[in-house]
Amino acid sequence: MGGVGEILITLGVVLGLFVVWQLWWTSVEATAQAQEVMQEFEATLPPANPEPAELRTDDPPVPDKAAYGETIGTLIVPAWYGLTNNAMPIAEGTGMDVLDRAMAGHYETSQQVGEIGNFALAGHRRTHGNSFRHVDDLEKGDQIIVETATTWYVYEVTDHEIVTPDQVDVVAPVPHHPDEKPTERLLTLTTCHSLTLGEFGNDHRWITYATFVGWMDRADGTPEQVR
Amino acid sequence: MYAWIFHHLPGNLFWRVLQSVVLVAAVVAALFLWVFPAIAPYLTLLEGDPAVG
Repeated sequence: MGGVGEILITLGVVLGLFVVWQLWWTSVEATAQAQEVMQEFEATLPPANPEPAELRTDDPPVPDKAAYGETIGTLIVPAWYGLTNNAMPIAEGTGMDVLDRAMAGHYETSQQVGEIGNFALAGHRRTHGNSFRHVDDLEKGDQIIVETATTWYVYEVTDHEIVTPDQVDVVAPVPHHPDEKPTERLLTLTTCHSLTLGEFGNDHRWITYATFVGWMDRADGTPEQVR
Repeated sequence: MYAWIFHHLPGNLFWRVLQSVVLVAAVVAALFLWVFPAIAPYLTLLEGDPAVG
């Protein structure tokens, strides 16, 4: 076998290894980093009361804006139990340094959790922990729960849409109407999607909307769907 | 190239196979830990976009 052939075979093997690295190894690393962040965050909290309790529907407490990279809380999507890293940390900001650690990133221009407007989160679809890989499994009425140091916030999925990456007003206080004044408390998940490659591509964005249904003080109890 | 390297490794067949395995493992580790993370931003086929993720 000639030297040129060996080099070509080597290049082919290296490209194959790159795919293995991106689809598998980045998730191994990112999931470990996310778990470390979760443990650090949980260590700062008193344990929640494990009893189920009624959801409150009065105005929830709204946390102060966090600094970039700071952990805000955890994101729990009951429909994703057993499928992906769940719960995952939510950190302030949507830079790759945040998302690549298998965390959900909070759009800094969007509202705080529980606030009237839009609490918008970004996460990877594939690679780096596959954070929002199963976003397409979410159905109307599925819960999305955010846990902060003091409070559980429960949202329910209302709708989803697939948009081009330039449609950034999906994270506006009123999605698609950046000039309107919000009246509802929304949560929006954004992640990559491809019309041709599905979860493996990034030519489009998958946007899932959820609306606030209630909250609970961690001292009073734990939402039933949290395991 | 690989045949040349293999023939120039010291020791008997067992040791040469063992050294080959270690060398391959070292190359793969270097690719996974340093090379691929460095080039990933330029190969965005499977990768999220910082604008939305």
